[in-house]
Amino acid sequence: MADIPFESPVTKTYDFLKPSPLGDAGGPPLTLSDLSSTGKTILRADPEAADRVGVGFGASVTVGDVLVCGQRPGEWMLIGPIAAAQAFVDGLGLDGFHSVVIHTHSRALFCLTGDSAASALEKVCSLDWSDDMTPDGAAASATVARVTCDIVRNDASGTRSYLIACDRSFGQYLFDALVDAGWEFAVAVTV
Amino acid sequence: MLLVPCPNCGPRNAADFSYVGEAKARPDPNAATPEEWRDYLYMKDNPAGRLRETWYCRSGCRQYFVLERDTAANRFADPPLPAAEADGEEA
Repeated sequence: MADIPFESPVTKTYDFLKPSPLGDAGGPPLTLSDLSSTGKTILRADPEAADRVGVGFGASVTVGDVLVCGQRPGEWMLIGPIAAAQAFVDGLGLDGFHSVVIHTHSRALFCLTGDSAASALEKVCSLDWSDDMTPDGAAASATVARVTCDIVRNDASGTRSYLIACDRSFGQYLFDALVDAGWEFAVAVTV
Repeated sequence: MLLVPCPNCGPRNAADFSYVGEAKARPDPNAATPEEWRDYLYMKDNPAGRLRETWYCRSGCRQYFVLERDTAANRFADPPLPAAEADGEEA
């Protein structure tokens, strides 16, 4: 299959945020990144397959280059190179009915990173993003600024970080909503 | 705010759910009469009291489940059950 050029759902520029009018809030800055070009594959299978996948609903685990996220009972989002995700699924040896669909171009993916990321996220999402309820590796689905999203806490570099995925058509709106929520925390944008 | 107790996601705002309707057993499509289909599709008990309802968790786990609500007090009575377990079939 020929590679299709990727077009990010985020097309605006955010130069007005540089430098932040609110200054440095202290500590590691809050950053919002557009990672939409990252490979995204959805695996759907019997929820009992969680034993083979290695992670169930509400959690995530890194397997090689792929972040395997249990977004729903019987549904996993695989974030990483498509070939690596396909190899991961092939290695599971699933024998029952299941489907594997590449969603790289149909889903937006953003990353909110920083010590104040939870505070910013809680402004637009009703879930409790404290360490007790959603430690590193937690996966959930919820509405963020009224957009249904898949959210994974992934402190990959030791800093609190959330991966937020939604339908591509809502990408620009959600990105703007997250910029607005992060405004008081002096968010820096990477697109 | 009404908190709906999803069996997978826990209690969440009712805005995250779709209300499907009263939980009824689906008639056998090979044997049901038109009257039975009409009753299943359109006729509701609508009691002022305890009622078994089907809800859909559209923002979270995207699963159907059945729970019992007191329609007079607008309170959920029992822990929810997955729809298939509660009715013996898929919702």
